[in-house]
Amino acid sequence: MRRIFLAVLLAAGAAAAQAPRADPLRFPADIDPGARRKDAAPDGARSSALFDGANAAYLAGDLPRAGASYEALLQEGVASAELETNLGATYLREGKRGLAALHLERALFLEPGDDDARADLLETRRAAVDRLEGETEGREAFSRVLSPLPGRAGSIVLLVAWTLAWGLLAAHLFKPARLFLPLSLAAFALSLVAALVTAGAATWHSVALRRAVVVAQATPAREGPSERTATHFEVHEGTLVRIEDEEAGFRRIKLANGLVGWVPAAAVELVVPPGWAGQSG
Amino acid sequence: MSRRTGSAVLLFVGLCAAGARAADDVQIHASTDADEVAVDGTLNLQVLVTVPSASQGADVQLPDFKDFDLVGRSQSEQTTIEFSNGAQNIYRRIVTNVALTPRHEGSATIEPVRVSYRGRSYQTQPINVRVLGAAQAQRRRGATPPSPRESEDDPFQGMATQIGARDLMLRATVDNKVPYVGEQATYSLYLLARGGVSGIDKLQVPKFDGFWSEALEEPQQLVNEPRIIDGIPYSSFLLRKRALFPLRPGKVEIEPAEVDVLSGFGMLFSRSSAHRASQPIIIDVQPLPVATRPPAFDLGNVGSWTLSTSVEPLTVSVGQPVTFKLVAQGRGNVRDLRLPRLGQVPGLRAYDATTTDKKSVEKGQLVGTRTIEQLLVPERTGDLEIPSLSMDIFDPAQRAYRTIRTEPVRLLVHAAEPGTAATVALPAQNLLAAGGLRPIRLRLRETATSAPPWTEAWFWPALAAGPFAVAILIASGRARRLFWKDPRELRMRRARTAAQARLRGAEAMLADRRSGAEFYAEVARGLTGYLADKQGIVAAGLTREELSSALLARGHANATVRSLVGILDQCDERRFAPGAADERAQRSLLADGERILAELDRPGKDAA
Repeated sequence: MRRIFLAVLLAAGAAAAQAPRADPLRFPADIDPGARRKDAAPDGARSSALFDGANAAYLAGDLPRAGASYEALLQEGVASAELETNLGATYLREGKRGLAALHLERALFLEPGDDDARADLLETRRAAVDRLEGETEGREAFSRVLSPLPGRAGSIVLLVAWTLAWGLLAAHLFKPARLFLPLSLAAFALSLVAALVTAGAATWHSVALRRAVVVAQATPAREGPSERTATHFEVHEGTLVRIEDEEAGFRRIKLANGLVGWVPAAAVELVVPPGWAGQSG
Repeated sequence: MSRRTGSAVLLFVGLCAAGARAADDVQIHASTDADEVAVDGTLNLQVLVTVPSASQGADVQLPDFKDFDLVGRSQSEQTTIEFSNGAQNIYRRIVTNVALTPRHEGSATIEPVRVSYRGRSYQTQPINVRVLGAAQAQRRRGATPPSPRESEDDPFQGMATQIGARDLMLRATVDNKVPYVGEQATYSLYLLARGGVSGIDKLQVPKFDGFWSEALEEPQQLVNEPRIIDGIPYSSFLLRKRALFPLRPGKVEIEPAEVDVLSGFGMLFSRSSAHRASQPIIIDVQPLPVATRPPAFDLGNVGSWTLSTSVEPLTVSVGQPVTFKLVAQGRGNVRDLRLPRLGQVPGLRAYDATTTDKKSVEKGQLVGTRTIEQLLVPERTGDLEIPSLSMDIFDPAQRAYRTIRTEPVRLLVHAAEPGTAATVALPAQNLLAAGGLRPIRLRLRETATSAPPWTEAWFWPALAAGPFAVAILIASGRARRLFWKDPRELRMRRARTAAQARLRGAEAMLADRRSGAEFYAEVARGLTGYLADKQGIVAAGLTREELSSALLARGHANATVRSLVGILDQCDERRFAPGAADERAQRSLLADGERILAELDRPGKDAA
C-alpha cells in the first residue's frame, strides 16, 4: 500500500514539473526586471554602497543623482520596499507624481504594511490632477484588508495540514486508533483556515497583477486602440488604473469609478512587474 | 397794403420761384472710401443728397446690394441757409453712411441709390469695386505689427485697421503700459465678433512672467457688450481681467493669449471652431525712484495704504491676554505687503502672530486688508504703552514715498483679583500637523519576489495528492475484498478433482507395472484426501468405526460408507502385506473408488 501511495505522489510531481505554467496576462518582456535579475545578481555590498550613495544624494538635495542611483539598483534587480519608497519620495520631490505613485505602489506590494510608503502615497494623491467622481471606498478597503494576508505561509500551511489530514483519515480507516480521527478533523479545520487566507491573498494578488499607474503627464483615453478613435476623457499622472486588455500598442484601462478607455501602452506602467509576479514575459 | 404784407408776398413769390426750381436743384452723389476692398474687409459707402427745402426731406432708397452684405447704416441731416446776391437759399443735406462687406472676390457692383423727392425719382451711377482675397489685401496693406503703445486707456483704440481685416478677433489690452514696480496694471482680454459666438474653448492665458498676477474677473459665460467701432457693430466679450504687479523694472512682454471660438448652435445649425490669438503686449516697467527712497523701504510696499492698530480690551488684569491687531488697508498688492513688527514691549509677553489677508476689487483696482493679530499677556500692573508702528510706502498715484504710522496705544493693567489664575491657558505654539513627505529609509532589505506557491504548477497536484492517495487505498482494499477466495472452500470445490487425479495416477502406475504398495497408497491418499478436503474428515486419526459414524452423520448412504471403509481396509492390507499383483482386482478397486467418490459427492441421493 505504501508503494502505491509513493508511486502516486511521484507521478503527480513529475506531471507538475512538466506541465506548462499558467499565464493569465501576457506582459512585454522589456519591462521584466525579473529577467534582468536572473542574468546578474548584484553583490550585496555593492548594492548597499549604491543605496547609501543614493540616500546621501537625496539628503543633500541632489535629487537627479539620487533618482539615478536608485534606478540603477532597480536595474541590478534589487527588489526592496525601502528602495521603492525612497525612489517614490525622490520622484515626488522632483514633481514627477506619476513615477512617485508607481514606486510607492510597488513598495506597498512588496511590503503591504509599510506605513511610510502609504503616507507618501497619500501625499502624492493629494496633489493628483484627477479626482474620480463616484469612486467607492470599498475597493480601497478591500485592498487594505487583503493585502497584508500572509498568502505564502498560508498556502504552505494549507498544503501540509491538508495532506496530514488525509493521511490521518486514511490511518483511521485502515488501522483505527483513538487519536487518528480527532487529529484528522483538527488538521482539516486548520486547512480550512489556511485555505481562506490563501484564497484572500490570491484574490488580492490577481487584482494587484492588473493594477497600473498613469506615468505620462496627461494622456487621452480613447474609444478604441487607435489614435484615430474619439477621446472619451483624459487621465493624468499618478492615477491608479486597472489594465483590462492590451492590443496594438494600447492598453484598455478601467478607473476606480468605472470609466473605461484605451491609452497608449507607454502611458501606464504596471505596479507589479512580471518578474515579481513569477510570470515570464 | 402794409409793409409787412408786402414783405410776405415777396417771400411767397420767392419761395414759389425757388420751389419751381427745386426739381432742378436736387443733387445726389454716392461714393465709396476705396475702390478695392478685402473679401473679409469693410467698405464704406456715402450717399450725399442735397435738396432745396428746409421742411421736406428726400427719401433715400438703398439698393439690394447683391454683391455685399449690409453691416451698418447711419443717416444724418443738416440744413444750410445761404445768402447770395441778396437772395436766401435754403438747402437740406442728407448724408447716409453704409458699411458693406463683400460676399465674394473679384468684381463687385454697388447698384444705383434711388432718391424720391416731391414725386420725382433720382438715382446715382453704379459703382464698381474690386474685391481682393484676404492674403492679397494683407500684402497690399503691408503687415505692420501693432504698436505696443497703440492703446493706453481705451481697449478698442487703434483697432480700425485690424477690424477691416477680421470679423473675429482676440484683443488683449493693458490700461497702464508704463507702471512702476509693484503698481497695478490691469490686463483685459476681449473677444470681438461680428457674427454669432456660441462659446469658447481652450482659452490659454499668458503666463505673466515677471508679474504678480491676481484675477479680477473670470466670467464663466460669455456676456455680450455691443460696441460700435468705426460705424460697425461688434459683439464684445470680456474673457479675462487680471491685475498685474510688476516684479522688476524693464521691458516685459506679455505673450499672446489664444482661444478657440465656437459658432453655431447644437445640431440644427452647423457648429464651427476658429482659433484666434491676441497680440503680444510690451510693458515698460518703471523703477521706483532711488534718490528719495527711505532706507527701510521694502519693495513690496507699493500702493495707497493706511495703517491702524487696536488693542482689545484696553483694561485687563495681570496675566489676562489682550489681542493686538495691526491692520493695513488700501489699494495695491496686499499679498506682497511687509508690515512692521511689534518689537519687545516691556511688561508684555508676546506670542506668535497670525496673519490674514482679504482682497477685493473696487472699480477694477485690487484692494485689500492685511491683519496681523497677536496675543499679548501683561506681566506687570500699571500703564503699558504699545508704541507707534510705521512703514514706508511708495504711492504710485502721488509718484512719491510716504511714511504711514499708527498711534500709540495705552493699556491699563491692574492687579489680578484674589483667587483668579494669574495666567490663562494659551493655545499651543508648536502645532504639528500631520502629512508631508516621510523621511527616507537608510537600510536596504531585499524582498523575495518569487511567484506565490499557488501559482506554481506543483501546488495543486500536491494538494490533490492526499485525497487521491486515500481514494486509491480505499479502492484497492475493496478490490482485494472483491477478488479474495476462501482456500477451504477452494479445496472443497477441488476435492473430487484432486481425488480423481490421484486415482488416475494409480491407474498410470498399473500401466507402468508399479502396481505394488505404491498403487494402493495412491488410491488410499486419493480417498482420504477427498474425505479431508470435501468432508472435513481426517481419516488418518480415526478408527474405521469413527470414520463410518462421521460419514453417516453427514448423510451418506450406509452402503457407500461400507464400500469406502472396505476399500480403505483393502488398500491398507495390500500396502502392509504385499502379495502377488492382481491387475483385475486393482482395476476393480479403481472403479469402486470412482463410484464411491461419485456417491460421496451427492450425499442426499445416496441417503435417499
